[in-house]
Amino acid sequence: MTDWLGMLAAPRNPRPDLKGRVLARALAPRRRRGGPLAAAALITLAGGGGGGAWWAYRTIDALTAQRAVLAARVQALEDTVATFIHGPATRLIQIPVSTGGRVGSVTIFADSARHRWLVRCDGLAPNAHDQAYQLWFITERGMSTAAVMPMDEDRPMVMALEMPPGGVLGAAMSIEPRAGSASPSGPMVFHRLL
Amino acid sequence: MTSPKRLSQEHQRSLELRLKAGDEHALGELFDLVAPWILGSVLHILHDEDEAEEVVSDVFVQVWRHIHQHDAGRGPLMPWILSIARNRSLDALRRRRRWWRKSAHLEQAHAVDVGAIPPAAPHEAAVPGWPVHREVHAALAALSEEQRRVVLLSYFEGLSHGEIAQRLNQPLGTVKTRLRTAHQRLTESLGHLRDWAE
Repeated sequence: MTDWLGMLAAPRNPRPDLKGRVLARALAPRRRRGGPLAAAALITLAGGGGGGAWWAYRTIDALTAQRAVLAARVQALEDTVATFIHGPATRLIQIPVSTGGRVGSVTIFADSARHRWLVRCDGLAPNAHDQAYQLWFITERGMSTAAVMPMDEDRPMVMALEMPPGGVLGAAMSIEPRAGSASPSGPMVFHRLL
Repeated sequence: MTSPKRLSQEHQRSLELRLKAGDEHALGELFDLVAPWILGSVLHILHDEDEAEEVVSDVFVQVWRHIHQHDAGRGPLMPWILSIARNRSLDALRRRRRWWRKSAHLEQAHAVDVGAIPPAAPHEAAVPGWPVHREVHAALAALSEEQRRVVLLSYFEGLSHGEIAQRLNQPLGTVKTRLRTAHQRLTESLGHLRDWAE
């Protein structure tokens, strides 16, 4: 309960650039310390059974922690997906798309009760290094950005989004500069009224 | 101040699930909602804006990377984040070579009582967390002055029982008793809080 004492101090608005710095740092790929080659070199240097045992211990420890993280993420994803799929107010929209000469799809679970979308993108071609996919909400006031999705790897992408106030008429996706655009300016991947 | 948003328990749970699912947008949302409170708390401990922002950055990185360690069944998200912020702040405070000088300076500059941390201005009342802020103030104000003093020295300056006894020139046993009693009373007063933005 005493942890609540942190709320005693008055709130203080962070400087505008702090959010960007924090997100960039948190979302940056983590540097991996060592690695198999470094571990192998260490074992060679140590040259004894003790070094091998130490390496095995550390590896098992790291893999166990990694497995726990992945299990937690899978569990959380299952919870999120189940909430969307089984929600009585959820509507399913599947949109076939073609990017880079390949056929893929964007699937939207639109939960009008909780005003959230779960969006899954499959089979999208990886972006050029200076580009990203940008998802848009189509609203009565025009297009508003929903998410900027740089896609460097060929793998499905899942994200949960809060719907903007005032309702959504449809969705669109375009290819934009890496940092995203204020309004669609690049090639349109799809444009769909719901 | 951040534009006001109303947050339901469901929204908060959804935010946590999204963080656990690695949803990067959820981290941005969390920052918008809680960063003012975290920064306020850290700044109150460190009294240095640049250093406080560094700590806030550390806090969000830790939350993002270790969100799976938070067990929603054992308590809400916000106290967990606040405890990370406090621990990080106290670590930073201890790293300073100027610690003792700064501590002595702070003691002179800020009387250790509730009045030293006035409630936020009324125009900030729309910020999520405001009711909890007021309740924490009220719970602390309900303690005796002696209890309040040891709680604040313990929480915001990270002093050990022995250091508090030395600072206040009180027997160690007295300090321990006051802290224990104060924590019991705070637990009773704040036990009904289910999360930070109800």
